[in-house]
Amino acid sequence: MRRLRCALALAAIAVGAVDAAAQALVTPVRVGRPDAPTTLTVWAQQDYSHLAARPAIAGVFASVFDDWARAHPGVQLRVSVMPALELHKAKLQLAAAAGRLPDVASIDSFWLPLLAADVQPLDDDWPADDRRDFLPFTIQTLTDPAGRILGMWHETDCRVLFYRKDLVGAPPRTWDELLDVASRVARERHMSGYLYNAGRWEATVFDHLAMFWAQGGELVDRTGRPIFGEGANRRAMLRLLAFLRATIDRGASPRSVLGHNDYQQLTGAAIAGDAAMFLGGNWQLKDLQTGLSPADFARWDISPIPTADAGMTSTGTGGWVWVVFARDPARRQAAIEFIRDVEAPAHAARISEATGHLPVRRSVYRDFPIFSQDVWYRRFGDMLASGHARPTAPIYPAISQQLQLAIGAVVAGERSPEQALDAAWSAVLDEYARQTMAKAAPARTGADPIAWLPALAAALFPLGIFWRGRRADAALMPWILPAAALVTIVLVYPMLDLLRLSFTDATVAGRSYQYTTSSYRALVSDPAFYAMIVVTAIFVAGSVVLQLTIGFALAWLIDAARRRRAPGTLAARVAVVSAWVIPGVLTGVLWKILLIENRSGIVNYYLSRAGLGPAPLISSPVLALLSVVVANVWRGCAFSMILLYAGLQRVPRELHEAADLEGVSAWQRLRWLLVPQIAPVLLLNLVLITIASFNTFDLIIPLTGGGPARRTEVISLFMYRLGFYDLEAGRSAAAAVVMLAINLLLAWIAGRLIVRGGVEPQHA
Amino acid sequence: MRRRVWFVVALAAASAVFLLPQLWLLSLSLKSKAGVYEYPPRWIPASATLANYAFALTRTQVPWYLWNSAIVASVAAAGTMAVAIPAAYTLSRERFAGRGPLLAALLAVQMISPVVLLVPIYAVVERLGLIDTRAGLMLVYAAMQVPFTVWVLKNFFDAVPRSIFEAARLDGASRARTLWTIVLPIVAPGLGASAVFNLAAYWSEFCLALVLLDSQERFTMPLGLFSFQSAYETDWQLLAAASFIALVPVIAAFVFLQRFFIAGLTSGAVKG
Repeated sequence: MRRLRCALALAAIAVGAVDAAAQALVTPVRVGRPDAPTTLTVWAQQDYSHLAARPAIAGVFASVFDDWARAHPGVQLRVSVMPALELHKAKLQLAAAAGRLPDVASIDSFWLPLLAADVQPLDDDWPADDRRDFLPFTIQTLTDPAGRILGMWHETDCRVLFYRKDLVGAPPRTWDELLDVASRVARERHMSGYLYNAGRWEATVFDHLAMFWAQGGELVDRTGRPIFGEGANRRAMLRLLAFLRATIDRGASPRSVLGHNDYQQLTGAAIAGDAAMFLGGNWQLKDLQTGLSPADFARWDISPIPTADAGMTSTGTGGWVWVVFARDPARRQAAIEFIRDVEAPAHAARISEATGHLPVRRSVYRDFPIFSQDVWYRRFGDMLASGHARPTAPIYPAISQQLQLAIGAVVAGERSPEQALDAAWSAVLDEYARQTMAKAAPARTGADPIAWLPALAAALFPLGIFWRGRRADAALMPWILPAAALVTIVLVYPMLDLLRLSFTDATVAGRSYQYTTSSYRALVSDPAFYAMIVVTAIFVAGSVVLQLTIGFALAWLIDAARRRRAPGTLAARVAVVSAWVIPGVLTGVLWKILLIENRSGIVNYYLSRAGLGPAPLISSPVLALLSVVVANVWRGCAFSMILLYAGLQRVPRELHEAADLEGVSAWQRLRWLLVPQIAPVLLLNLVLITIASFNTFDLIIPLTGGGPARRTEVISLFMYRLGFYDLEAGRSAAAAVVMLAINLLLAWIAGRLIVRGGVEPQHA
Repeated sequence: MRRRVWFVVALAAASAVFLLPQLWLLSLSLKSKAGVYEYPPRWIPASATLANYAFALTRTQVPWYLWNSAIVASVAAAGTMAVAIPAAYTLSRERFAGRGPLLAALLAVQMISPVVLLVPIYAVVERLGLIDTRAGLMLVYAAMQVPFTVWVLKNFFDAVPRSIFEAARLDGASRARTLWTIVLPIVAPGLGASAVFNLAAYWSEFCLALVLLDSQERFTMPLGLFSFQSAYETDWQLLAAASFIALVPVIAAFVFLQRFFIAGLTSGAVKG
């Protein structure tokens, strides 16, 4: 009875808490009144909602959304934060194909062509006089050929040169001036003269496009056809690549720029006192201000990006765009009202103040003191006048991928600017030809009978197991069938469908496709494919050998220690396992924090103290591959250790006691007692970790992104890029089939070895 | 006695290698934003603060992420075990026509990461009407580790001495009863090891969760952690704090489950 009363009291408290939460209009799971009849789904960008993981931004949005919710009692929001960049892009594509797009989303401006079929124009519910308040490039970039406006730009940024006044003096205006001063500072001060992004990611291209645009270069023409490899554009691009090569040759920049695949590395180097200049984004000013003492911060200043010749100017303006997918007129109107409310001048000003990004409304720069009076914002605002956004052409993502590789290869000194540009240009032209051909080809209509084949074949799989069976086998059905059915639905059918996809030219959005072998032809004619196979082989072999050896050593050590009742075995197992249970994406981030190449990286800090560094742990091709292997082994050892430790537990104690009596050496005990006993577990382990290593990419993405150039791009990352960055479902599937074939071959060899070696588990 | 000391030293050294990166993460999670960029780096923050943990637990959806991950991972792990144990047992003890092909097929599907299968898996889950539900994610997870679990468990079942089965048969025990009361206790270390593997795999899986879930309130821990990182500026100290919160339940589960590795081992039964 008393327990019941207690439970009732607890329930009452819980209901009370729910009740109180219902009063709040902005909660982590809901914005607006819970009884509002209309619910809008919103896919927000990471730094742009009340769920932002930065307290100041979350606070501003909570109050902005609260204002909106009070004014719109009939609408509530379900906000989800989408992970960065390519993942968000691929998710939108999948949702579009399945008809599950949210009502409102925040997207990167250059994805617009991918979603053109689903984006709703905003003109009808967005008054023209309000539109005029936005910076011209935001409206121009988002206007479709029919003159409709497809999105509302919500913030922008621009690229600038950050420099130390005390080291550099007057900021360089041209590339020659920059090379002179940077190499002088680097020589005299033993620090990096000039840093920039040259890792494998979007910013490596975007940051440098300003230097291309300033020369009058253009990437694509009005129709979206690539032209950066022709005539004057080609010359401008070659000059840019030659300049980047010169930064290394002249000693102005260290090779470690090849490892820069996020902006934090630039900030970190600047704060650690290891950079005299860097090419960064306006938002980094806030980071410098936070990280440096006021006296140190006062030494930093900004200036426009240096250009090929004096008198040119340009900066790349990025930014995010609100788009509306809701087709129902009432919902669409509610959605547009929501984004207009969030972007109202007073709100936009507060948001930009918190994010450190640049507002896109002229009235915000004019009417709000923080922007009209702050010297920094006034200067950034001036730079936006020469702002240049990336083209919203379907070919842009391919151009960016190819130029990332070109810049990486030139900076690494592996290719001349001409070779690198020619390779990028021909790859982009191939891709463009494929895109236009796919558009011209008649879309498949009606049912596709071949699409049913994988389902039929998959259905045969569980049936086939018992097909030839005897009557007695029927009794075994219920024991096997649940596992077989589950695996068939979730794994076997998708695998067969993958095989089918590999013979199509389907994209992730998957609207129409043809059956063709072009995916395989593209794969075998791609020189990068063979280089990738070599990288994969080294990565897998290195990981497997080290992981198995260290995993076994650990299992052995812990088992031996436990038998001698030494304390600390549980602690050791927990330590090893703790490395393994961190999600892979985080492991990559963690190792990057450790391995950063400037003085702010802790490993290089100690290497420098020991007089051995700083070492190019991420930017040298050899060391980068080694770093990736080490991180993977560090994470994976627990897997081998647990399995082998459990195996060692099965070794009968009598055998150990006999060995103790005989007084055998540790090696003899290992060779003649332990290994034969756990051989089946060892082999199983070998097969499983080989497969796991083949499939590793989650930790490589944040750590190196596959760079420098493509020197750490393993096969699963190669597939992942094809699927998620390039959205080429067909080619990604073809690569997966190749990988499966390699794995099956290895498994077959392992199987033969097991039989030959006679180590199939023997029943006593 | 001397040797025991050496073992302790060796264990401590091994632990240190695996713990140093996490200790650095711990150090970051206790720092203020300015402390993160401090140079030279400090292991022990000048002024340690728990503010990052308080923010992660009260102002973000981290509690939701924890709950979602816990429920998805445990249900999926239970599901995997429920279908894998009978299948592995049958594959180990019985000879039937489809046995070889089935074992080969399981190994083959194990070889391909679900990441590659994202597009077709999305289509399957969509057809089942389970996109953006925990059930959809549980279903896919439960299947994902079945091949691995069947292989591992079969290995452990294989090692059970034949004499035990003969004794059970003489006693007239049914197949199910033999498995439940006699064999499972013997292979408890294997069950524990596979359970830990599966829990950890489901706990840290990222790509499938990303594709199959739309609503933030259903996000699992890795998705939630990923949204702590931004393209522009990451508050490392917050990400570190949230990562540590994510680490605690799995470590606890491991400490709890690992007892079964050893406790289930009755030395008499494995004499052979």
